[in-house]
Amino acid sequence: MLLDGLFAGGTYALMAAGMALILGVVKVINLSHGAFFTLGAYVAYALAERGVETPIAAAPLAAVIAFAFGVFLGKSFVNPARTHPFALPVGTLACALLFEQVAQMAWGPHPLSIGADAPWIAPGGLVIRRWGVIAFLSSAALLGGLRWVLSARPGLSLRLIAEDEEIAGSLGMDVEAIRYLTFGGACAMAAAAGALLSPSGAVTPTMGRAPLLLSLVVVIVAGMDSVAAIFLLSIGLGIFGNACAWFLSPQWSYVALLAAVCLLLSARPAGIVALAGRRD
Amino acid sequence: MRNAAPSRAPKVSLRGGTPPARSPWRGGGWLAAGIGLLLLFPLSSPDAFFLDVFTTGFLLAAFAASWDVVGGVSGQITLGHALPFGTAAYACALLTSFAGWPLPLAVAAAVLLAAAVGAGIGALSARLVGPFVALLTLALGEIAHEAAVGHTFFSGPGGYAWGGEGGIPVALPWRDAPPFWSYYAALAFLCLASFGMLRFSRSGAGLILRAVAGSPITAQASGVPIARFRRLAFTVGSAFAGAAGAGFVLHVGRATANDLSLELSFQAATFAAVGGRGTIVGPVVAALVLHVLFQGLSLPPSARVLLYALTLLVTLRFFPGGVVGTARDLASRLGGKEGARPPRRRGRNRPGEGTP
Repeated sequence: MLLDGLFAGGTYALMAAGMALILGVVKVINLSHGAFFTLGAYVAYALAERGVETPIAAAPLAAVIAFAFGVFLGKSFVNPARTHPFALPVGTLACALLFEQVAQMAWGPHPLSIGADAPWIAPGGLVIRRWGVIAFLSSAALLGGLRWVLSARPGLSLRLIAEDEEIAGSLGMDVEAIRYLTFGGACAMAAAAGALLSPSGAVTPTMGRAPLLLSLVVVIVAGMDSVAAIFLLSIGLGIFGNACAWFLSPQWSYVALLAAVCLLLSARPAGIVALAGRRD
Repeated sequence: MRNAAPSRAPKVSLRGGTPPARSPWRGGGWLAAGIGLLLLFPLSSPDAFFLDVFTTGFLLAAFAASWDVVGGVSGQITLGHALPFGTAAYACALLTSFAGWPLPLAVAAAVLLAAAVGAGIGALSARLVGPFVALLTLALGEIAHEAAVGHTFFSGPGGYAWGGEGGIPVALPWRDAPPFWSYYAALAFLCLASFGMLRFSRSGAGLILRAVAGSPITAQASGVPIARFRRLAFTVGSAFAGAAGAGFVLHVGRATANDLSLELSFQAATFAAVGGRGTIVGPVVAALVLHVLFQGLSLPPSARVLLYALTLLVTLRFFPGGVVGTARDLASRLGGKEGARPPRRRGRNRPGEGTP
């Protein structure tokens, strides 16, 4: 149970990092982030149905599909409506519900499951699931790559836009393009996380809601600066969520996350620093 | 009327709200014609299905207008407006069938409870900025929804379990009321409730709320206690939402977890966005038209939510002012030469809200 939480949390970190990226560069809260997670899981399911049972294959495909959708969404909706205080939360929520309904029409409302391989039994009775190891290692690798990109030359423009978009624009950067590309990339990260985690449980149209809240909690607490902090906190929350699901019932972990969002928002009314400081 | 005094001061139109001093019944003729048509409709002996669709539509329209009091007039974007609606529905059902209260008493208690819930949400969210209000209300609504799905109440007489997915039945004193009775009752409720909300949104408090929504800092600098006014907006909006919820549960006869769902909150926001936020009448008309259209086509529920989401996205992207805002814009563009209504031109230019 602990290990499952660790693996799941490490993969959620991928999604939370995407959320943080969107918050930092595009400076919006993306309520449709969970839908991309679900999209990834359904891509993995559709592949598994056709005999490709490894999430290693599903994750890149899901990422590419989500990138395409994310760029479309970012370019045609999020960028134009970025400073609109009403359109953004409601519109991204509309996208999430839209996708949930499409998934329900395409695959039905019933939980689907992907056949997971038999777990390895390590000495000492420890059960190690193969998908968990794959998911954890690949997300850790991807996060490491993200950290390297952000600190290296190509990440410089992202950091500059997060810092001051006017200066970035005056330096000749195409701020709008970088914004929607970042949005697409972050959506791809969420979808990859969904594909990697799909064997862990049932695939349902609304499965993305809990990870969405988890990444919100992570971003509010850990901020957007440190990939390592996001990683550690996600692992903590993943273990916590699994413990809730184990001792109480699965829906309790969702309620606990919701309660955490409420408490955090009451405790930090200004929310996240980057949004509080922006000009309206 | 504690809030009457400040209403005299802002004679200039604040954020494009129709100034109350000028014809408050502009377009009253159209309104009367619409109500007349709706009154005539049941007499044409229509299908019972369509009567039911319209009855639900009236209640949903009142709900959408109550969203607009919070999300449009006071500018606090709530995505958990189903919470007061469902609270009242559940309170009504539990109090009548479980505690055995008489129906009028239970309805009154349910509305009061919804108002109290609204005051609580308002107090929690008053200090939050921008999208975090939406986030907090969404989380609160989802908690209530999960609780309603997961909790099983035990019943008295039958011995079987109530709650969970199946919901809780209401003990109604009448049996099989003729459908046109509920139709007329719901229509009367809609008219009364919209009138009340319209009066509220054009009262002194409503004007102050519009000022707070336009620029909280300016309002605060002018000495407005913004937290209190936001709480007031949530309380009033939630009381009306609760009344709509109680009416809904009386019509349907059963309180279910759907009454608390995110989809319902989202529907209210959609109606308001399509109709034009902050106008009260716009959301009512949008709710009636969209609900009757989508429900009348007897689509499956998921296709309906899909259509609502698509409608909302198109509206947000291309007509940010909603139908009312776009119509005002067109009117002022067409009749702009005469300069007949210069102040109303400002309708869509809310701070940070125009077409980017």
